[in-house]
Amino acid sequence: MASKEFNPFEMAQAQFDKVAEILNLEEATRHLLRNPLREYHFSIPVKMDDGTTKVFRGFRVQHNDSRGPCKGGIRFHPQETVDTVRALAMWMTWKCAVVNIPLGGGKGGVICDPHHLSMQEQEHICRGFVRQLAKNVGPLNDVPAPDVMTNAQHMLWMLDEFEAISGAKYPGFITGKPVGMGGSLGRTEATGYGVIFTVREALKELGIRPEDTTAAIQGFGNVAQYAIELYVKLGGKVICVSSWDQGDQCSYTFRRKTGIDLHELLKITDKFGGIDKVKAKELGYEVLDGEAWIEQDVDILLPCALENQVRGDNVNKISKRVKIIAEGANGPTTPEADKVIHERGIFVIPDFLANAGGVTCSYFEQVQCNMNYYWERDEVLSKLDVKMTSAYLAVSELARKRNLYMRDAAYVISVSRVAQACKDRGWV
Amino acid sequence: MDNENKNIQLPQFTRGFFELEESFSWIGDGSFGGKASGLAFIKKIIDNNINPQEFPNAVVNIPKMVVLRTSIFDAFMERNNLFDFAINEESDYKIINEFLKADLPVEILGDLRTIIEKVKVPLAVRSSSMLEDAKYEPFAGIYATKMIPNNQPSLDTRFNKLIEAVKFVYASTFFKASKVYFTVSSHSVNEEKMAVIIQEVVGQTRNLRYYPHISGVARSFNFYPSGKSKPEQGVVNLALGLGKTIVDGGIVWTYCPAYPKSPPPFGDPKDMLNTTQTTFWSVNMNTLVDYDPTKETEFLILNNLQEADYDNTLIHSASTYDSRSNKIVMGVGADGPRIINFMPLLYMNDFGFNDLIKKIMKISSDALENPVEIEFAVTIDKKTDKLHFGFLQVRPMVVSVEEVEIDSSELESEDLLVASNRVMGNGIIENISDVVFVNPDKFDKKFTQKIALELDSINKILVKENHPYLLIGFGRWGSSDPWLGIPIDWSQIAGAKVIVESTLFGINVELSQGSHFFHNLSSFNVCYFSINYDGKFAIDWEWLNNQTLVNETEFVRHVKLNNPLKIKVDGRKGLGVIKK
Repeated sequence: MASKEFNPFEMAQAQFDKVAEILNLEEATRHLLRNPLREYHFSIPVKMDDGTTKVFRGFRVQHNDSRGPCKGGIRFHPQETVDTVRALAMWMTWKCAVVNIPLGGGKGGVICDPHHLSMQEQEHICRGFVRQLAKNVGPLNDVPAPDVMTNAQHMLWMLDEFEAISGAKYPGFITGKPVGMGGSLGRTEATGYGVIFTVREALKELGIRPEDTTAAIQGFGNVAQYAIELYVKLGGKVICVSSWDQGDQCSYTFRRKTGIDLHELLKITDKFGGIDKVKAKELGYEVLDGEAWIEQDVDILLPCALENQVRGDNVNKISKRVKIIAEGANGPTTPEADKVIHERGIFVIPDFLANAGGVTCSYFEQVQCNMNYYWERDEVLSKLDVKMTSAYLAVSELARKRNLYMRDAAYVISVSRVAQACKDRGWV
Repeated sequence: MDNENKNIQLPQFTRGFFELEESFSWIGDGSFGGKASGLAFIKKIIDNNINPQEFPNAVVNIPKMVVLRTSIFDAFMERNNLFDFAINEESDYKIINEFLKADLPVEILGDLRTIIEKVKVPLAVRSSSMLEDAKYEPFAGIYATKMIPNNQPSLDTRFNKLIEAVKFVYASTFFKASKVYFTVSSHSVNEEKMAVIIQEVVGQTRNLRYYPHISGVARSFNFYPSGKSKPEQGVVNLALGLGKTIVDGGIVWTYCPAYPKSPPPFGDPKDMLNTTQTTFWSVNMNTLVDYDPTKETEFLILNNLQEADYDNTLIHSASTYDSRSNKIVMGVGADGPRIINFMPLLYMNDFGFNDLIKKIMKISSDALENPVEIEFAVTIDKKTDKLHFGFLQVRPMVVSVEEVEIDSSELESEDLLVASNRVMGNGIIENISDVVFVNPDKFDKKFTQKIALELDSINKILVKENHPYLLIGFGRWGSSDPWLGIPIDWSQIAGAKVIVESTLFGINVELSQGSHFFHNLSSFNVCYFSINYDGKFAIDWEWLNNQTLVNETEFVRHVKLNNPLKIKVDGRKGLGVIKK
């Protein structure tokens, strides 16, 4: 989570300002887009299992809805800040725009630590969150989804509460629901697969065969796991992953130079993505420092954990061999590190493009829910691939034509689409 | 030719492929399969040897195609855990259903969707297995080809139809018929891998039907030369509509390219009305089609000739019967029953059609250093007045070179069970002691489908016991039309080492097997005797009926002989004898 020195919202605004300059946006548009349209800050009182009452602080930020209802996850994290949520909401706006889906950007969060909460307590938080926001969210204006430390079960509680309040069935209110309860097939895999669809296209562009590459991955949650699965299917070799150890309160890197085995590691992984150190060693993995993933001699780096992971202090540890960084996480690279990466000529697939598979599939889920008609997995994933690949190709083509850094090219496409929507609506 | 992937220098599929001039592309790794390898090979030959100035009114190409190489099949089978099930399950229907439920590898889904987004014409999803179509390999035509109209308004529907068709072709690797092939050949199903060709269908849409003006199979070696023609001058079968008519052994127009104007031997012009093509296949472009993804012909429709007349597609292929003069008049200018004899093309050599066929046969056999069999489809573009020749398949033919001499006097010796001067194959066989024959006293054309099932059950027993046998029956073997002969699949008689075809009582149908059936005969070195029921070389039925009866069904008898038959076939002269 964000350190004291690091303010993700300031970083998001700085990124936006740079693009606003490239696009020569007028002042009003800049003001409108560099801040959220709406914010909700509220308290959620919860009766705890021990009979006490605890009040949790929650946020929902709607950054921009000029292109459609806001879309964004709800995070449960002890170090959650409103600035993190603001930044993430803004990135959601750009993310939806870059893959050209008719949604705006939003994000929510609750300051809490699910590791220390029972399922019942978490249910109360979910229901309380919806009670506070029911008037301001919904399938037509703001559609939440799972995010850090929330999952399908949380979404189902929230949906149930929303439908109870609304007095009708609204499966399109929230996405990331279980399959069979309004969820979409392919949603679980979508973000990780989406990252690799873009990596695959980047490799094609660079003239490199996937089977000739190796990768190091930060994180071992949902995104990382499915990214690994598809990357390996394409022929690539992952030599290390890093994961958070809840007991030690730090992360470790698990390396096996001959290639990690996803299924083997999953068997020794807890529900939060933490890998058992002892068992990993028994299976022949080296257990290294949490930051070791970044210094591996590989072709591809996939930061798939949290924001602020590639920084000025560790960027120079990146091996000369690295050709591609695909940002599976949101905001993993600080502007300072980004500058170095740019100068070194490493090909970056920026976060809001690389990890847009999740929101794209959430959009598909929403569409299916609103129709109450559900697609086959093949159909969902084929649409996802086409969307992601088209988005990637549009960004890389612009980058090539205008000699832009990939991140800037992606921003140019997104911001101009959103700015145009605001203009067309007569807001600016 | 035999899966020499390293020699195939063709581009990998990109999402802009359908905007490019390139006609061939691929996805995945592994083998291209026999059919796709053959096409990739011949593409180069066509590009280098067909001079557009020599054929100014014709365009020759391979219809645009994308090959899903065998690594995709491997991934599909492995990730869905289908191998054990597919190998052990006996019901084709259950296999199809299980395959339809399985997921295609995620890494190709986006590419398949792009194909559907870009292609607006019907697609043929064709098998191209590793064993299929390679020289001396008999796996021709046993796997499925599914055609889809690709015209539904919804992109999702079209995408789903495409993936259903791909899964159907994968499933066909394990159909009952395929498994019999593995039993009678020296291969095991574990060796087989399936590549799939997704190819634009050659044709034009007319009144909810999509079909080519002509489909054809050309062989550069003719096992049944007649009249002046010689074996090495080859033979061509032509049909109106999709090539299914030919490969299924339906009625088609057969001619020797050296003598395109010589008609087949019909006694009376009026006879041609019944003995030439009267129906044709097309892709059904009607969006109201019964949903049945388990059926290979889900989107195909058999039409009457009148429909083609209505579609105005007979100009280059039909003549008209004039009842007043009892003559055949070239073209469709006059009213009257149409006869599909391709006279405008063959008699007038419109578009240089026959010269083009000859040229293609020559360059293909030169390139493969072997006689060849070619499948093609042709459309004629009214606006540009050009003939578009779509090259669909090429495979080498097996022509035996063993020297067997048969003196014509042997055809009349007294110890004969059968003799014929129209025999396909070559060699001497002396290990057959089982004879399976359709009882001539009970044979009736309306029961041919039942006869096929009875033969299938006896064949299964003999294959299991590893007893090769002599098969005798009436009409065209392998015809899909039950009124022309017994509509068996090759797998239902795969244990037969020698086959005798006697014409039907009173009907003299020109001999012309379906191309897949034909390829299997030659690949398995099966000798094929053709005789007229009431002709010079009669079958000694009495002798057969006096042999030890092993099994008798309603229409079929299986007898065991005390001593093996002595069978000789002289392939060069087309003579054969079966001695008791």
